[in-house]
Amino acid sequence: MRLTVDGRPIEIDAEPDMPLLWALRDLAGITGPKFGCGIAACGACTVLVDGQPVRACVMPVGAVEGAVTTIEGLAEGDALHPVQQAWLDEQVAQCGYCQAGQIMSAVALLAEIADPSDEEIDAAMGGNLCRCGTYPRIRAAIRRAARDGAGA
Amino acid sequence: MLALAAAAALPALAPLAAQDDGAAAPEPALAVDLERGLPAWRAIVAVLAHPRCANCHVEDNRPRWSGPSYGATRAHAFNVRRGADESGFGNPGLRCMTCHFETNSAKPHGPPGAPSWHLAPAEMAWFGKSSAEICAQIKDPERNGGRSLAEIAVHVRDDALVGWGWQPGPGREPAPGSAEATFAAIERWSAAGAPCPEPD
Repeated sequence: MRLTVDGRPIEIDAEPDMPLLWALRDLAGITGPKFGCGIAACGACTVLVDGQPVRACVMPVGAVEGAVTTIEGLAEGDALHPVQQAWLDEQVAQCGYCQAGQIMSAVALLAEIADPSDEEIDAAMGGNLCRCGTYPRIRAAIRRAARDGAGA
Repeated sequence: MLALAAAAALPALAPLAAQDDGAAAPEPALAVDLERGLPAWRAIVAVLAHPRCANCHVEDNRPRWSGPSYGATRAHAFNVRRGADESGFGNPGLRCMTCHFETNSAKPHGPPGAPSWHLAPAEMAWFGKSSAEICAQIKDPERNGGRSLAEIAVHVRDDALVGWGWQPGPGREPAPGSAEATFAAIERWSAAGAPCPEPD
Protein backbone atom coordinates (compact mmCIF):
# COMPACT_ATOMS: atom_id res chain seq x y z
CA MET A 1 0.00 0.00 0.00
CA ARG A 2 1.31 3.42 -0.98
CA LEU A 3 0.73 6.58 1.02
CA THR A 4 2.07 10.09 0.80
CA VAL A 5 3.01 11.23 4.27
CA ASP A 6 4.55 14.61 5.01
CA GLY A 7 5.38 15.04 1.36
CA ARG A 8 7.15 11.71 0.99
CA PRO A 9 5.82 8.54 -0.64
CA ILE A 10 5.93 5.56 1.69
CA GLU A 11 5.27 1.91 1.01
CA ILE A 12 3.68 -0.12 3.78
CA ASP A 13 2.36 -3.64 4.09
CA ALA A 14 -0.95 -3.16 5.90
CA GLU A 15 -4.43 -4.62 5.89
CA PRO A 16 -6.94 -1.98 4.72
CA ASP A 17 -8.73 -2.00 8.07
CA MET A 18 -5.60 -1.22 10.06
CA PRO A 19 -6.00 2.20 11.70
CA LEU A 20 -3.96 4.86 9.99
CA LEU A 21 -2.26 5.61 13.30
CA TRP A 22 -0.89 2.05 13.52
CA ALA A 23 0.43 2.32 9.98
CA LEU A 24 2.11 5.63 10.73
CA ARG A 25 3.61 4.73 14.08
CA ASP A 26 4.36 1.02 13.85
CA LEU A 27 5.04 0.55 10.14
CA ALA A 28 6.37 3.92 9.02
CA GLY A 29 8.06 4.94 12.28
CA ILE A 30 6.27 8.29 12.38
CA THR A 31 5.62 8.54 16.09
CA GLY A 32 4.67 12.23 16.30
CA PRO A 33 0.93 11.45 16.24
CA LYS A 34 0.04 9.96 19.62
CA PHE A 35 -2.20 7.13 20.73
CA GLY A 36 -4.60 8.32 23.39
CA CYS A 37 -7.99 6.64 23.54
CA GLY A 38 -8.25 4.57 20.35
CA ILE A 39 -11.87 5.62 19.76
CA ALA A 40 -11.60 9.16 18.38
CA ALA A 41 -12.56 10.60 21.74
CA CYS A 42 -9.44 12.58 22.66
CA GLY A 43 -7.80 13.91 19.50
CA ALA A 44 -4.18 13.06 20.34
CA CYS A 45 -3.82 11.13 17.08
CA THR A 46 -5.09 13.91 14.79
CA VAL A 47 -3.44 14.19 11.39
CA LEU A 48 -4.56 15.90 8.20
CA VAL A 49 -5.72 14.00 5.14
CA ASP A 50 -5.99 16.31 2.17
CA GLY A 51 -5.92 19.20 4.62
CA GLN A 52 -8.83 17.97 6.73
CA PRO A 53 -8.30 16.78 10.30
CA VAL A 54 -8.97 13.10 10.98
CA ARG A 55 -8.57 10.88 14.00
CA ALA A 56 -5.93 8.46 12.79
CA CYS A 57 -6.64 5.94 15.55
CA VAL A 58 -9.99 5.11 13.93
CA MET A 59 -9.61 5.91 10.25
CA PRO A 60 -8.86 2.71 8.32
CA VAL A 61 -5.65 3.13 6.36
CA GLY A 62 -7.44 1.72 3.33
CA ALA A 63 -9.86 4.65 3.44
CA VAL A 64 -7.12 7.27 3.12
CA GLU A 65 -7.54 9.24 -0.08
CA GLY A 66 -5.10 12.08 -0.33
CA ALA A 67 -1.88 13.24 1.21
CA VAL A 68 -1.34 12.74 4.93
CA THR A 69 0.25 15.51 6.99
CA THR A 70 1.43 14.77 10.50
CA ILE A 71 2.98 16.99 13.15
CA GLU A 72 6.35 15.84 11.79
CA GLY A 73 5.63 17.42 8.42
CA LEU A 74 4.72 20.93 9.54
CA ALA A 75 8.14 22.51 9.94
CA GLU A 76 10.18 23.49 6.93
CA GLY A 77 13.72 22.56 7.78
CA ASP A 78 14.56 24.33 11.01
CA ALA A 79 11.72 26.80 10.63
CA LEU A 80 8.79 25.80 12.77
CA HIS A 81 5.27 26.19 11.45
CA PRO A 82 3.71 29.39 12.90
CA VAL A 83 1.34 27.29 15.01
CA GLN A 84 4.25 25.31 16.47
CA GLN A 85 6.14 28.54 17.15
CA ALA A 86 3.08 30.06 18.81
CA TRP A 87 2.79 26.96 21.00
CA LEU A 88 6.34 27.54 22.19
CA ASP A 89 5.91 31.29 22.60
CA GLU A 90 2.77 30.84 24.69
CA GLN A 91 4.32 27.90 26.59
CA VAL A 92 1.15 25.95 25.96
CA ALA A 93 2.22 22.45 26.89
CA GLN A 94 2.26 21.05 30.37
CA CYS A 95 2.67 17.31 29.89
CA GLY A 96 2.53 17.78 26.12
CA TYR A 97 0.88 14.52 25.20
CA CYS A 98 -2.08 16.08 23.42
CA GLN A 99 -0.23 18.86 21.65
CA ALA A 100 0.56 17.06 18.39
CA GLY A 101 -3.17 16.58 17.85
CA GLN A 102 -4.07 20.03 19.16
CA ILE A 103 -1.65 21.66 16.77
CA MET A 104 -2.98 19.72 13.77
CA SER A 105 -6.55 20.77 14.52
CA ALA A 106 -5.41 24.37 14.93
CA VAL A 107 -3.58 24.21 11.59
CA ALA A 108 -6.76 22.89 9.95
CA LEU A 109 -8.82 25.66 11.53
CA LEU A 110 -6.46 28.44 10.48
CA ALA A 111 -6.29 27.10 6.94
CA GLU A 112 -10.00 27.82 6.62
CA ILE A 113 -10.45 30.74 8.99
CA ALA A 114 -7.35 32.92 9.09
CA ASP A 115 -8.48 35.01 12.06
CA PRO A 116 -10.87 32.89 14.10
CA SER A 117 -13.06 34.20 16.90
CA ASP A 118 -13.06 32.50 20.30
CA GLU A 119 -16.30 30.78 19.30
CA GLU A 120 -14.72 29.47 16.11
CA ILE A 121 -11.69 28.27 18.05
CA ASP A 122 -13.92 26.43 20.51
CA ALA A 123 -15.94 24.88 17.67
CA ALA A 124 -12.75 23.59 16.06
CA MET A 125 -10.92 22.42 19.15
CA GLY A 126 -13.70 20.77 21.20
CA GLY A 127 -12.61 17.29 20.13
CA ASN A 128 -9.03 17.73 21.33
CA LEU A 129 -8.86 17.10 25.05
CA CYS A 130 -6.15 18.43 27.31
CA ARG A 131 -6.27 16.83 30.71
CA CYS A 132 -3.74 19.32 32.02
CA GLY A 133 -6.32 21.99 31.27
CA THR A 134 -4.16 24.27 29.15
CA TYR A 135 -7.14 25.49 27.15
CA PRO A 136 -6.59 29.22 27.83
CA ARG A 137 -3.05 28.92 26.49
CA ILE A 138 -4.23 26.87 23.51
CA ARG A 139 -6.61 29.69 22.60
CA ALA A 140 -3.88 32.28 23.09
CA ALA A 141 -1.50 30.33 20.88
CA ILE A 142 -4.07 30.04 18.10
CA ARG A 143 -4.69 33.78 18.27
CA ARG A 144 -0.96 34.42 18.19
CA ALA A 145 -0.50 32.07 15.23
CA ALA A 146 -3.31 33.90 13.44
CA ARG A 147 -1.53 37.22 14.02
CA ASP A 148 1.67 35.67 12.75
CA GLY A 149 0.00 34.67 9.51
CA ALA A 150 -0.43 30.94 10.03
CA GLY A 151 -3.57 30.96 7.95
CA ALA A 152 -2.38 33.29 5.25
CA MET B 1 -62.02 7.11 17.46
CA LEU B 2 -61.10 6.03 13.97
CA ALA B 3 -64.16 7.74 12.52
CA LEU B 4 -63.30 10.90 14.37
CA ALA B 5 -59.76 10.76 13.05
CA ALA B 6 -61.09 10.28 9.54
CA ALA B 7 -63.39 13.24 9.84
CA ALA B 8 -60.56 15.36 11.14
CA ALA B 9 -57.98 14.17 8.68
CA LEU B 10 -59.84 13.97 5.40
CA PRO B 11 -60.42 17.60 4.51
CA ALA B 12 -56.85 18.55 5.21
CA LEU B 13 -55.27 15.51 3.64
CA ALA B 14 -57.10 15.06 0.38
CA PRO B 15 -55.34 17.84 -1.55
CA LEU B 16 -51.93 16.87 -0.20
CA ALA B 17 -52.46 13.21 -0.99
CA ALA B 18 -53.56 13.97 -4.51
CA GLN B 19 -50.57 16.20 -5.06
CA ASP B 20 -47.91 13.91 -3.57
CA ASP B 21 -49.20 10.53 -4.68
CA GLY B 22 -49.48 11.19 -8.36
CA ALA B 23 -46.19 9.53 -9.25
CA ALA B 24 -46.22 6.74 -6.68
CA ALA B 25 -49.74 5.32 -6.74
CA PRO B 26 -51.09 3.40 -9.72
CA GLU B 27 -54.01 5.78 -9.73
CA PRO B 28 -54.86 8.77 -7.58
CA ALA B 29 -56.17 7.78 -4.17
CA LEU B 30 -59.87 8.38 -4.02
CA ALA B 31 -60.04 8.44 -0.26
CA VAL B 32 -57.79 8.20 2.72
CA ASP B 33 -57.80 4.66 4.02
CA LEU B 34 -57.15 4.94 7.73
CA GLU B 35 -57.46 1.21 8.39
CA ARG B 36 -54.50 0.54 6.12
CA GLY B 37 -52.72 3.84 6.30
CA LEU B 38 -52.30 4.42 10.00
CA PRO B 39 -50.66 1.06 10.79
CA ALA B 40 -48.26 1.71 7.92
CA TRP B 41 -47.51 5.16 9.34
CA ARG B 42 -46.85 3.69 12.78
CA ALA B 43 -44.26 1.37 11.24
CA ILE B 44 -42.67 4.33 9.49
CA VAL B 45 -42.55 6.65 12.47
CA ALA B 46 -41.10 3.90 14.62
CA VAL B 47 -38.09 4.18 12.33
CA LEU B 48 -38.00 7.96 11.89
CA ALA B 49 -38.31 8.68 15.61
CA HIS B 50 -35.82 6.00 16.59
CA PRO B 51 -32.64 7.43 18.09
CA ARG B 52 -30.52 6.04 15.25
CA CYS B 53 -32.38 8.38 12.92
CA ALA B 54 -33.65 11.20 15.13
CA ASN B 55 -30.33 11.90 16.88
CA CYS B 56 -29.11 13.61 13.72
CA HIS B 57 -32.48 15.09 12.68
CA VAL B 58 -32.36 17.94 15.19
CA GLU B 59 -33.82 21.42 15.15
CA ASP B 60 -30.91 23.14 16.84
CA ASN B 61 -27.31 22.74 15.81
CA ARG B 62 -26.26 19.94 18.15
CA PRO B 63 -26.59 16.25 17.33
CA ARG B 64 -27.76 14.13 20.24
CA TRP B 65 -26.56 11.05 21.96
CA SER B 66 -29.67 9.15 23.03
CA GLY B 67 -31.16 5.70 22.99
CA PRO B 68 -31.11 2.51 25.01
CA SER B 69 -27.32 2.26 25.10
CA TYR B 70 -26.69 5.92 25.90
CA GLY B 71 -28.25 6.52 29.31
CA ALA B 72 -29.67 10.02 29.65
CA THR B 73 -30.13 12.04 26.49
CA ARG B 74 -27.38 14.56 25.97
CA ALA B 75 -25.80 16.66 23.31
CA HIS B 76 -23.01 15.04 21.32
CA ALA B 77 -19.76 15.56 23.18
CA PHE B 78 -16.77 17.54 21.90
CA ASN B 79 -18.80 20.68 21.16
CA VAL B 80 -19.88 19.14 17.86
CA ARG B 81 -22.11 21.51 15.88
CA ARG B 82 -24.04 21.63 12.65
CA GLY B 83 -21.51 24.05 11.19
CA ALA B 84 -21.49 27.81 10.83
CA ASP B 85 -22.24 27.38 7.12
CA GLU B 86 -25.38 25.36 8.03
CA SER B 87 -24.07 22.53 5.85
CA GLY B 88 -24.54 19.90 8.55
CA PHE B 89 -20.96 18.70 8.07
CA GLY B 90 -19.47 20.44 11.11
CA ASN B 91 -17.05 23.29 11.53
CA PRO B 92 -13.56 24.05 10.21
CA GLY B 93 -11.15 22.05 12.35
CA LEU B 94 -13.84 19.64 13.53
CA ARG B 95 -15.93 18.10 10.79
CA CYS B 96 -18.30 15.20 11.32
CA MET B 97 -15.94 13.26 9.10
CA THR B 98 -12.99 14.05 11.35
CA CYS B 99 -14.15 11.04 13.38
CA HIS B 100 -16.96 9.39 11.39
CA PHE B 101 -15.54 7.49 8.44
CA GLU B 102 -17.31 5.26 5.92
CA THR B 103 -17.46 2.25 8.24
CA ASN B 104 -18.31 1.69 11.89
CA SER B 105 -15.51 1.52 14.37
CA ALA B 106 -15.45 -2.06 15.63
CA LYS B 107 -14.52 -0.92 19.13
CA PRO B 108 -17.09 -0.38 21.88
CA HIS B 109 -17.89 3.35 22.08
CA GLY B 110 -15.91 3.96 18.90
CA PRO B 111 -17.47 6.30 16.36
CA PRO B 112 -20.04 4.83 14.00
CA GLY B 113 -19.50 5.38 10.30
CA ALA B 114 -21.26 5.62 6.97
CA PRO B 115 -20.58 7.56 3.78
CA SER B 116 -21.03 11.32 3.99
CA TRP B 117 -21.78 11.48 7.72
CA HIS B 118 -23.64 14.72 8.50
CA LEU B 119 -26.69 16.24 10.14
CA ALA B 120 -30.00 16.47 8.31
CA PRO B 121 -31.09 20.03 7.54
CA ALA B 122 -32.75 21.76 10.50
CA GLU B 123 -36.12 21.97 8.74
CA MET B 124 -36.17 18.16 8.66
CA ALA B 125 -35.97 17.90 12.45
CA TRP B 126 -37.69 14.94 14.08
CA PHE B 127 -35.94 14.83 17.43
CA GLY B 128 -38.47 15.28 20.25
CA LYS B 129 -41.41 15.71 17.88
CA SER B 130 -44.68 13.79 18.02
CA SER B 131 -45.86 11.28 15.46
CA ALA B 132 -48.41 13.79 14.12
CA GLU B 133 -45.78 16.51 13.81
CA ILE B 134 -43.34 14.25 11.98
CA CYS B 135 -46.13 13.04 9.73
CA ALA B 136 -47.17 16.54 8.69
CA GLN B 137 -43.56 17.46 8.16
CA ILE B 138 -42.54 14.52 6.02
CA LYS B 139 -45.34 15.24 3.56
CA ASP B 140 -44.36 18.89 3.27
CA PRO B 141 -41.83 19.42 0.44
CA GLU B 142 -40.65 22.55 2.24
CA ARG B 143 -39.55 20.35 5.12
CA ASN B 144 -38.64 17.06 3.46
CA GLY B 145 -35.97 18.14 1.02
CA GLY B 146 -38.44 18.79 -1.79
CA ARG B 147 -39.31 15.12 -2.17
CA SER B 148 -42.47 13.31 -3.25
CA LEU B 149 -43.52 10.40 -1.08
CA ALA B 150 -42.20 8.04 -3.76
CA GLU B 151 -38.84 9.80 -3.58
CA ILE B 152 -38.82 9.59 0.20
CA ALA B 153 -39.43 5.84 -0.01
CA VAL B 154 -36.51 5.40 -2.40
CA HIS B 155 -34.31 7.68 -0.27
CA VAL B 156 -35.02 5.52 2.78
CA ARG B 157 -34.34 2.31 0.89
CA ASP B 158 -31.20 3.36 -0.98
CA ASP B 159 -29.33 6.10 0.89
CA ALA B 160 -26.21 4.73 2.55
CA LEU B 161 -26.32 7.09 5.53
CA VAL B 162 -30.01 6.30 6.15
CA GLY B 163 -29.18 2.60 5.80
CA TRP B 164 -26.63 2.91 8.59
CA GLY B 165 -29.58 3.12 11.01
CA TRP B 166 -30.08 -0.62 10.60
CA GLN B 167 -26.34 -1.42 10.79
CA PRO B 168 -25.21 0.93 13.55
CA GLY B 169 -22.22 -0.99 14.83
CA PRO B 170 -21.45 -2.49 18.21
CA GLY B 171 -23.39 -1.36 21.28
CA ARG B 172 -26.14 0.54 19.49
CA GLU B 173 -29.72 -0.56 19.03
CA PRO B 174 -30.60 -0.62 15.34
CA ALA B 175 -33.71 1.09 13.99
CA PRO B 176 -36.66 -1.34 13.85
CA GLY B 177 -37.28 -3.47 10.76
CA SER B 178 -35.19 -2.88 7.70
CA ALA B 179 -34.70 -0.39 4.90
CA GLU B 180 -36.71 -2.59 2.55
CA ALA B 181 -39.56 -3.01 5.05
CA THR B 182 -39.66 0.75 5.66
CA PHE B 183 -39.70 1.38 1.91
CA ALA B 184 -42.67 -0.99 1.63
CA ALA B 185 -44.45 0.69 4.57
CA ILE B 186 -44.05 4.11 2.95
CA GLU B 187 -45.51 2.73 -0.29
CA ARG B 188 -48.47 1.24 1.62
CA TRP B 189 -48.98 4.47 3.53
CA SER B 190 -48.81 6.51 0.37
CA ALA B 191 -51.27 4.22 -1.44
CA ALA B 192 -53.66 4.60 1.50
CA GLY B 193 -53.63 8.37 1.11
CA ALA B 194 -50.80 9.04 3.58
CA PRO B 195 -53.00 9.67 6.62
CA CYS B 196 -51.55 11.28 9.72
CA PRO B 197 -52.54 10.50 13.30
CA GLU B 198 -54.37 13.07 15.33
CA PRO B 199 -52.12 15.39 17.30
CA ASP B 200 -51.38 14.18 20.83
